[in-house]
Amino acid sequence: MTPVFAAVLLTSTAASLGASAAEPYDVYNYDRWGEAIPSQAGYIADRAVSGKDLGIGHFKNPNDLFKDHNDIFYVVDTDNNRIVAVDSEFEEVVKIYDEFTMEDGSVTTLKKPMGVYVSEYTDLIYIADNENGRVLICNYDCEVVMEITKPESEVYTQNTFLPQRVIADKAGNVYVVLGNITTGAAMFSPDGEFIGFYGANRVEATAEIVGNYFMNLFTSEEKKARKARNIPTGITSFDIDGDFIFTCTSSTSQTTDTVKKLNAAGNNNFANLQLKFGDFTPMYDTNTNTNYAAKITDIDIADDGNINCLDFTTGRIFQYDEDCNLLFIIGTKADQIGGFDQVSALESMGDNLYVADKQKNTITIFVETSFGEIVHEATTLYNSGHYEEALDPWYEVLKRDGNYRRAYIGVASALLNAGDYKGAMKYAELADMPAIYNKAFEGYRMDFLSENFTAIIVVLVILVIAFYIASRHFKKKRLAREAAERAELLERRNNAGREE
Amino acid sequence: MMDLTQKQWVKHTVTHPFEGFEDLRWKKGGSLKIAFLIVLLFFGASIAYGRLYGFQFYVSYDKTFNIIPYLVESVVIFATWVIGNWAVCTLLDGEGTMKNICIYSAYALIPYIAQIYINVILSHFLIRDEYVFMQAIEIIGTLWSVVLVFSAIKAVHQYSFGKTVFAIVLTIVAMLIMLFLLVLLLSLIQQVWVFFSSIYTEISYRVRV
Repeated sequence: MTPVFAAVLLTSTAASLGASAAEPYDVYNYDRWGEAIPSQAGYIADRAVSGKDLGIGHFKNPNDLFKDHNDIFYVVDTDNNRIVAVDSEFEEVVKIYDEFTMEDGSVTTLKKPMGVYVSEYTDLIYIADNENGRVLICNYDCEVVMEITKPESEVYTQNTFLPQRVIADKAGNVYVVLGNITTGAAMFSPDGEFIGFYGANRVEATAEIVGNYFMNLFTSEEKKARKARNIPTGITSFDIDGDFIFTCTSSTSQTTDTVKKLNAAGNNNFANLQLKFGDFTPMYDTNTNTNYAAKITDIDIADDGNINCLDFTTGRIFQYDEDCNLLFIIGTKADQIGGFDQVSALESMGDNLYVADKQKNTITIFVETSFGEIVHEATTLYNSGHYEEALDPWYEVLKRDGNYRRAYIGVASALLNAGDYKGAMKYAELADMPAIYNKAFEGYRMDFLSENFTAIIVVLVILVIAFYIASRHFKKKRLAREAAERAELLERRNNAGREE
Repeated sequence: MMDLTQKQWVKHTVTHPFEGFEDLRWKKGGSLKIAFLIVLLFFGASIAYGRLYGFQFYVSYDKTFNIIPYLVESVVIFATWVIGNWAVCTLLDGEGTMKNICIYSAYALIPYIAQIYINVILSHFLIRDEYVFMQAIEIIGTLWSVVLVFSAIKAVHQYSFGKTVFAIVLTIVAMLIMLFLLVLLLSLIQQVWVFFSSIYTEISYRVRV
């Protein structure tokens, strides 16, 4: 191999490594008109960890992933009937939870656990033990503190109790997402008593539903009982962030309430914002007669407040800021690292994202790129109202990706705040934000008027005088011409009369 | 009396909504040249409305520019109005010729067109809070034109009030039918064109081989 050839080879490999070309997909984002355009990657896949890498045998159908307040990850290894606790680097197993001691001293095992949660307030582990039909609450030494089973309540009409996801709030209330239940998450008091359901989805107002509503005004009770009822889709997963619980719904037929932000009273803060999560236009496949619409299967709230949504259909993570503006789209369906088969769970720690794939049986770790870092810095500053501090990061974002619309909005807002109306107008126009442009223009016009007030008045006065003089001049001329015409006419008539 | 030049006739008809067109008919005024100029201005106004509006009021889709929609919403609509009205009113004992209908209708559109141009200019000087002024101008201009169109049709055909209303409704129906047939014709022509072009492509490939 000649030295030149070697050098070329070396530089080309270096270039391919540096330019994050390792991603097995084209990174994209959406523009002002909802059309997909190429974009810079905010995250790149670092590595994928399997159970074998950790020395505990392959994961089997991992369904949930949770990071606790001590940065310990809990992988719910469903078909192995165990919960695996891994350190924050995903290098070593801390502990395997598979056998638990009940309060009476007997030993119990898990059967297809689906979800796990660790509360920093009660320091307890909550496990959704799906096929045993119970939620186990235990401490770090596998001693069961409490067991929640199917509630004996008139409100709870279902025959089954299949916990899929579980979380607990500050007060110790336990929320459980149950299979086959569409009335929301079951809510239990700290001592395990069933309180009721929390955060049910609404029924989407499709034409059929609206039509049914009017039909029902005229149908009898008997007829109504025989008709198909209007049932919303159930909650698929949720995450808690301070006082708010975020839920998501993996339904391809429903577009309302796919992602909700619920307050303590169960009211959805996103209800009337007309938000859309996942890909904008669902893809329809004529071969299989299916609509590949987004199916948000898990949701995670990052430490900085960003909302990460995991889409089962496309294997993509959609990252939104706290105001639900789309930041990045990460991942795809592929065999390479960074691609998925059947995603099941999503978790975040600091700047990293962790995605569990229940078909590949791996956890994929995504790390933030430098572009992602700048965007996050800028959005955090922008969302907290520090527009001017966010200006430099936004300029940097634009330097790297001139199509990033939020950067134009950010720059326009910052310039507007700083009083640079001309610049704000320019960037508002580039961002297609008439609202910001309107404000900037108002300021610009005000400045212009106050600066040039005397000049404008002088010009106006001169114009008025000139107009006045001109009109008088023309009027005089016209009168003279008309008089001449009249005289001529008179003369002609006189002449005609004389000839007769 | 009423020895007005063509330019003065325009001013007279626009500023006298109720007897202006009657006078115009009586004096056999009106010029087709001016009418075409007005339609051209109408076309310009629809483009200005779509593309030149102040940014604070309206964002246009900048990725593509297609002149056909603007052409359709001004010139084509006007042409179908004239033809439709002529077709309907010939059957309804109207006295207007196609030329007169064209001239009178064009003159009647002036306030509407002027309103668009004024608003396009104003939109570069006003902010959203002052939109009410533009709205007022828009409403006044549009209503004025509606009154003028009505009185133009009434005068050109020498109709009574009720018959004018009836004729205008029928004209709109005729316009819809015409536009429908136009779309049908276009899509059929397109299919025929595709057919012949594919034959041509096929043959040209075979000839080459």
